[in-house]
Amino acid sequence: MKKENDHGKHKYGMVIDIDKCTGCGTCMVACAAENNVSVRADQSDKERTITWMRLYKISNGKPFPHTEISYIPRPCMHCDHHPPCVSVCVATATKLDFNTGIVSQIYTRCIGCRYCQAACPYGARYFNWWDAYFPKKKGLDRYLTPEVSPRMRGVVEKCTFCHHRFMRAKTVAYAEDRREIEEDEYITACTEACPAQAITFGDLNNPDHEVARLIKHPFTFRLLERIGTEPKVYYHSSRDWVRKLADNFLPGEYTPVVNQTWAEEEWSTKPGRDEF
Amino acid sequence: MKLTRRNFIAAVIGGIAGIQATPLPWKFTDDVAIWTQNWPWVPVPPTGEFSEVTSVCNLCPGGCGIVVKKVDDRAVKIEGRTDYPINPGGICPVGMGGLQLLYDESLRFTGPMKRVGLRGEGLFTEISWGEAFDMLAGRISTQRRKGAPEAVAAIDGSPEGTTVSELVKRLMRAVGSPNYVRPPSICDTYRMGNLLMQGTLSPMAYDLENSDFVLSFGCGLLEGWGAPGRVMNAWGMWHQGNPAKRKTRIVQVESRASNTASKADIWVAPRPGTDGALALGIAHVIIKSGKYDARFVSDHSWGFEDWRSMDGTRHTGFKTVVLEKYSPEKVAEITGVEPKTIVSLARAFAGAKAPVAIYGKGKDSLNGSLYEYMAVQSLNALVGSINRPGGVLLPDPLPLSNFPPMKVDSVAVGGLRKPRLDQAGTMRYPFSDSLINNFTDAINRAPRSPVDTLMVFSANPFFTLPDGGGFKKALEKIPFIVSFSPYRDETANMADLILPDSTYLEKMDDTVWPVGLQYPLYGLSQPVVEPLYNTKNVGDTVIELSRAIDDSVGSSFPWESFEEALKERAKGLFEAGEGLVSYDAGTPAWQRGGDRDKPGYSSFDEMWEAMKEGGMWYRPVGSPRDWQGLFNTPSKKFEFTSKLLVQAIADYSKGQSEKKALKDMGLSAPADEACMAHYEAPETTADRSEYPFLMLPYEMINLASGWIPSPPFLYKTIFENQLLKDKSFATVNPATAAKANLRQGDLVCIESQAGKVEARINLFEGAMPGIVYLPLGFGHTAYDEFLKGKGVNPNNVVQAGQDPISGYPVWWNTPVKLVKV
Repeated sequence: MKKENDHGKHKYGMVIDIDKCTGCGTCMVACAAENNVSVRADQSDKERTITWMRLYKISNGKPFPHTEISYIPRPCMHCDHHPPCVSVCVATATKLDFNTGIVSQIYTRCIGCRYCQAACPYGARYFNWWDAYFPKKKGLDRYLTPEVSPRMRGVVEKCTFCHHRFMRAKTVAYAEDRREIEEDEYITACTEACPAQAITFGDLNNPDHEVARLIKHPFTFRLLERIGTEPKVYYHSSRDWVRKLADNFLPGEYTPVVNQTWAEEEWSTKPGRDEF
Repeated sequence: MKLTRRNFIAAVIGGIAGIQATPLPWKFTDDVAIWTQNWPWVPVPPTGEFSEVTSVCNLCPGGCGIVVKKVDDRAVKIEGRTDYPINPGGICPVGMGGLQLLYDESLRFTGPMKRVGLRGEGLFTEISWGEAFDMLAGRISTQRRKGAPEAVAAIDGSPEGTTVSELVKRLMRAVGSPNYVRPPSICDTYRMGNLLMQGTLSPMAYDLENSDFVLSFGCGLLEGWGAPGRVMNAWGMWHQGNPAKRKTRIVQVESRASNTASKADIWVAPRPGTDGALALGIAHVIIKSGKYDARFVSDHSWGFEDWRSMDGTRHTGFKTVVLEKYSPEKVAEITGVEPKTIVSLARAFAGAKAPVAIYGKGKDSLNGSLYEYMAVQSLNALVGSINRPGGVLLPDPLPLSNFPPMKVDSVAVGGLRKPRLDQAGTMRYPFSDSLINNFTDAINRAPRSPVDTLMVFSANPFFTLPDGGGFKKALEKIPFIVSFSPYRDETANMADLILPDSTYLEKMDDTVWPVGLQYPLYGLSQPVVEPLYNTKNVGDTVIELSRAIDDSVGSSFPWESFEEALKERAKGLFEAGEGLVSYDAGTPAWQRGGDRDKPGYSSFDEMWEAMKEGGMWYRPVGSPRDWQGLFNTPSKKFEFTSKLLVQAIADYSKGQSEKKALKDMGLSAPADEACMAHYEAPETTADRSEYPFLMLPYEMINLASGWIPSPPFLYKTIFENQLLKDKSFATVNPATAAKANLRQGDLVCIESQAGKVEARINLFEGAMPGIVYLPLGFGHTAYDEFLKGKGVNPNNVVQAGQDPISGYPVWWNTPVKLVKV
């Protein structure tokens, strides 16, 4: 499957700079607003709450005042090599598109068995325990966009890399008699919304795109890289403790990246970033 | 037939076998699949023509540029604008969720209403605008006829300088009441400090983008301080490229590992309320090592060295006091920060090319402490970062036109002569504009409320004031309350009459100089959709109300509509010349030099149309200003020792001993020291053996804690150790929790002398031991199921002391105890 995909022309992916990420959550809100994700009265049960893009809070675990927290924004990883959800789907409701690298989700095909949800190593898939919540008397259905259909209960949903934006960009390009779209013509809602420009989106196969350059940086890593699903969402951090938390390393297994910056001065309250 | 075991089994098995032979189960499964995907209540969003409207977000004083995507008449998505100087593309999560504030009907008032239920119940019945105006105007006229117009009071939360706030002030003057009160914000602290030390009245202007060392004292840079779109964009910029070669370092001074503290390059954690002492400790090291900007200090400052007054008395200057009292060792005792950290911090700060020390308390929506701010500003002066690129700039105020002079009738003159209920501007609080906590106290102390009619504009003091629930009690005593809020907030639920404003996406409005921005900017927001309900722009409401009161009041409002009033003020922008009304992202407004478009308008009307389209007027940052006439203090210099304060203390001491006067003003320092930045330990009446911990409210960028409700979307971003079901969490250090025998998730009662709340415990290493942190923004008792009854509001526990001189609430020093439930 990997081979086939490499022959695909485009491979859309994302690099999220965790140094820049401020943990504000705008990406989460932008994603929900863009994709007609409904809000129920109680959003605190995180196993029932639908958040295609979700922030995870991590901490270096050091005692006060050396504690540091950080955030890992997690969309669907759009795994490039045998996406675990695709392998298990009995209804062909989810598929890896070889032309774009996007892992799709077709709600009307989904039978709600939730195998994919169990298979996904990243917890990126969400099951609709209820219908989309837009009570008529509230009038919240008035802000729904026609570009994304609201989901019914009993189906699984997840981040689509704002696939409708890709379609929109394609349509515009075709109308202008072009067959290819430019780097900035198709970006996801979270990329666009990030006030700190922490997210970069583009074609990993295209050396002219910023993402293709960023993924070569030594500070760039992926989550659970060693299970070999080849996620197309990359992260970037200058902090070793952040990179170390990206996978379940056994003692001594993690190789630190040489990371000498001026912030390592001896009086810094954040020493020991390199001690791993 | 008799039911035996045998024929029962036969029937069941027969049945199962039989059904397999019919198409029924297959048809049924298929149908179920179809039915379960086609419920009539799963909405099918209608499609239509796609369009875009550009505007300015008015949810906070930050005023980021937004573009709203529309499908026919429906707004479907808010995005950040790339052609707006403040926020090149991004906005904050609250702004991103703004459509829910427009379309969630149960959050809003759908028309003018009067109360039918009990106060606080939120039961209203719709009335017409005519009736509503008659009711309120009648009430105000009665007070005026009685010769007691001062019994009409207004609380106005619209940012200072906006046209709405100017209109409300004007209304109060025309009616004849001095009781125009504003909830405190960090801008009040800046304004007062700048008046005392610089004699300037312009808004705070920190040149962050051009700085190479940002030393932030408590500023929640990533918690929503200033214009979030601007600050977070700067954050991204600072972290662009190779980390080893980054230009700007960020140091955060704060007691908790907040987002800003964690993401900053260095985190320094002094005890809450001791930021000023830390700043002075840094000043000590800089002065002692001679690393201060001697030129600025000698040429442009006063009060650094010892001085003699007219009568020949010798007074100590800033240098002497700082060298004597704020050695790193002494400061370490006060703050808990190690001396070597203070020394290194001072070296790094003084050694930077363009350092800036900035002051704040979380977001900008709560006040700070005057002396803390003065200490931080003294640091800027020491390193010469005032009026220097990358430091603190001193631009002119926005050149908005003043409204024409107004005639105040004899009734109003009589009312305006009465003292303000909050004592702001008196000898005791000489530099304060308004003190809402004093206002509350005055009502609560009096046997009968001195306020007959209270009008509340763009504010929800019931929820947002850090006063331990004092304002709520005051509201219960006030005979008649009018709310102009578009939302069913707590204060509005206490009101007798509602004259609802339209939401920010349905009306024209202005934003004035976002907090901390280094260049003047005036934003103009546009209606994105037609008003959905029978609501009215509050500016128009005030104009119409003035006419309904009587001709004398009405004559002060010569405008047909609010837009005319906006236009009238904007004329000054045109007359000032040179302002830009369009923005090219290639040349950021904070960048000096570079090719810029010329203004491109030749008449006021042209400029106005361009402003309506672009939503802004601004003047990009220029070269530093001429020193001549820059500081308007008595000495015409930057004053480490404020002569205005010297005078104010002398004035207040007349007829009583100086010592008593100082004590009265909340000061423990001797007179010379009291006139400059110094450290005052916050006082409390609580017995610390009974209340061993301190409660500190904190703010989050992903939860609105002001008068605007949080869009329900934001609750997706709240972690389960911040809110679980209906309980919010108090964050404590594991060591503190161990002392109180508490574990993660335990339910505790957090009790102060002012009140108590129940929350769950969240253990966090990044919390300072001994402190209980409670998030602001939870604990609403109003709105709808998304927001109501979720968590607790720490303001109900706050036992606020008074900041010396300014009189603003010290909300960061509430002793509490923890009782396991």
